[in-house]
Amino acid sequence: MSIEQGKFVQKYDLLGCIQCGRCTGGCPVTVRTELNVRKFVNDTIDDNRLEELSEKPEIWDCTTCNTCAIRCPKGLDPFEVLLGLRSMRAEEGNIQPTARDALESMFNNGNPWGKPAAKRVDWMEGIEGVEKVRILEPGEKADVLVHTCCTAAYDPRIMPLAKNLVRVLEAAGVDYGFIGEEEKHCGSEARRLGEEGLFEYFDEENTELFGQYDVNRLVCLSPHCMNTFKNEYQNLNLPVTHYTELIAELIEDKKLELKNEIAAPVVFHDPCYLGKKNNVFDEPRYILSQIPGVEPLEFLRSRERSLCCEGGGGKMWVESESKEQRLAETRIMDAKDLGAKIVAVSCPFCLLTLEDALKVKGLEEEMRVADILELLGEAM
Amino acid sequence: MNVVVCVKQVPDTSDPDTEVHIDSSGRDVDRSKFSFVINDADNYAVEEAILLKEKHGGEVTVVNIGPETANQVIRMALAKGGDSAIRLEDEKFEFSDAVATARLLAAAVKDLGCDIVMTGCMASDDGYTAVGVALAQVLGLPHAAMVKSVEVVEEGKLKVAREIEGGLMEMIEIQTPCVLTIQTGINEPRYASFKGIRAASKKEIKLMDLAATGLSENEVGEAGSKSVMAQYSMPEIGELAEILEGDAAETSVKLAGILKDKGLV
Repeated sequence: MSIEQGKFVQKYDLLGCIQCGRCTGGCPVTVRTELNVRKFVNDTIDDNRLEELSEKPEIWDCTTCNTCAIRCPKGLDPFEVLLGLRSMRAEEGNIQPTARDALESMFNNGNPWGKPAAKRVDWMEGIEGVEKVRILEPGEKADVLVHTCCTAAYDPRIMPLAKNLVRVLEAAGVDYGFIGEEEKHCGSEARRLGEEGLFEYFDEENTELFGQYDVNRLVCLSPHCMNTFKNEYQNLNLPVTHYTELIAELIEDKKLELKNEIAAPVVFHDPCYLGKKNNVFDEPRYILSQIPGVEPLEFLRSRERSLCCEGGGGKMWVESESKEQRLAETRIMDAKDLGAKIVAVSCPFCLLTLEDALKVKGLEEEMRVADILELLGEAM
Repeated sequence: MNVVVCVKQVPDTSDPDTEVHIDSSGRDVDRSKFSFVINDADNYAVEEAILLKEKHGGEVTVVNIGPETANQVIRMALAKGGDSAIRLEDEKFEFSDAVATARLLAAAVKDLGCDIVMTGCMASDDGYTAVGVALAQVLGLPHAAMVKSVEVVEEGKLKVAREIEGGLMEMIEIQTPCVLTIQTGINEPRYASFKGIRAASKKEIKLMDLAATGLSENEVGEAGSKSVMAQYSMPEIGELAEILEGDAAETSVKLAGILKDKGLV
């Protein structure tokens, strides 16, 4: 059998690789793990080695931040090879119990967190100034369909983001609607954990679910959801944007008044799935610039070079074996060196991992991590 | 080493935020908002059965009493390595207690010629912990309950560990065929992928109704039960606990007094 017919060769165009090393050279996790994606691209050419390669623990260290894909001069996606190896493990059922539990919960409860589906919209209670959040009935018409994200719906730390999003939409007079109890996982993390079949299930289910509304666009709270609906769903015919893109429009159109001051040096941390994966860099910065008192700072590693927080790529459910300092901790120390008082983010995973890192480093008195939605809530 | 494993589909109450409400009849809970999953202990039993098959060969048969929605749980077990399945369904089976349930399972199992029948030690919905043991009685087989490890010593003989109070392990030898009720934590259940479960849909699930079991109406359901669900109710909130003050000598005297006064000793 010639190598051109190799399984991974065919699927990931491995013979296109020139082994230049830009992928591994740019990979942020190489400072703390054995992961060498360039080597995996080379080794997976051999079908006979796939089983053995799929057993290597470092394939779970990849955060799918997209740096390797951006840097590859041949336009390949080296990290996809690692997802392919994860897929082999998932089909065998041989994955870490935490990943197993997350995947089973996705199917049983519509979210990876083990929380009951019946409680999907409990977060909508008690929003300041909002009597009732608008939930769409099937067939109902609205301009904007909002997808909350499982983490925002169930994690008490992230619920305030969703609540503030509602406040913003109401204040700006947006014709919006939420999905309600039927809302479920986008499938992004299912795919990152190697469960292609489960991802396809969510693709089908959600495409049908969104199809029953008469809406013009889909807006997502999380860049991960946004990315998957926009770039990975097969038949979704709806424009998809992140909330920062919508809110930037609202501010430009003078529909949102930000009158309270937040007088502080603020550094924006570009989420990988918003920035590297979808080229949305300016809108979050524009929003921050419109908040009175904000002194905008920039990390040395900003925009396409943003340092991944290690929240994506299924990392919320699979721990690395490495005992070296987490990238989120490095990022927090960078913010401290910059003199930032607020690290602004626009992704639930970034918020959780960076805030954890802040606590680990004992810097809670000096700095805080806040989502742009939280800052907007304070500024409104 | 042919193994039969009995699986039950139950509401998912693993999350502490899950709300459980009694329904209008008072004899059941409102199931409209639940997600349904395989009973936790049964999941461990399935894994143990598959591990035995992988080590010693043989076949694994999955048995369930339930409606068509229970196929999800059966297919997951088949995807993990089960070979065939039997599902018992009949409206006459409703409200079966542990004994009636055991009769139903026995009817499905008795002619399969297996070496081990496994059940989970306890169901997470009713918590009776009785079906496996009752099943052994109905089948006339020896049993071990709360099993934490299974080892094949030789043809016809197993060595099993039973988890008993204080975290102690009781090691026993038991002849096959036998019934084992499996305790959680005996192994780490594998994952069954979505594609794997779909592929498992091609394996046969044999259906059995009352007639197929050969049992009479009086042996199953409420009619065949020794205990009958009368009513669910929420416990009334009583008075707060009384905290006894003082050192050990003082509080023990007070406590002894309370116990005597209430006729508890």
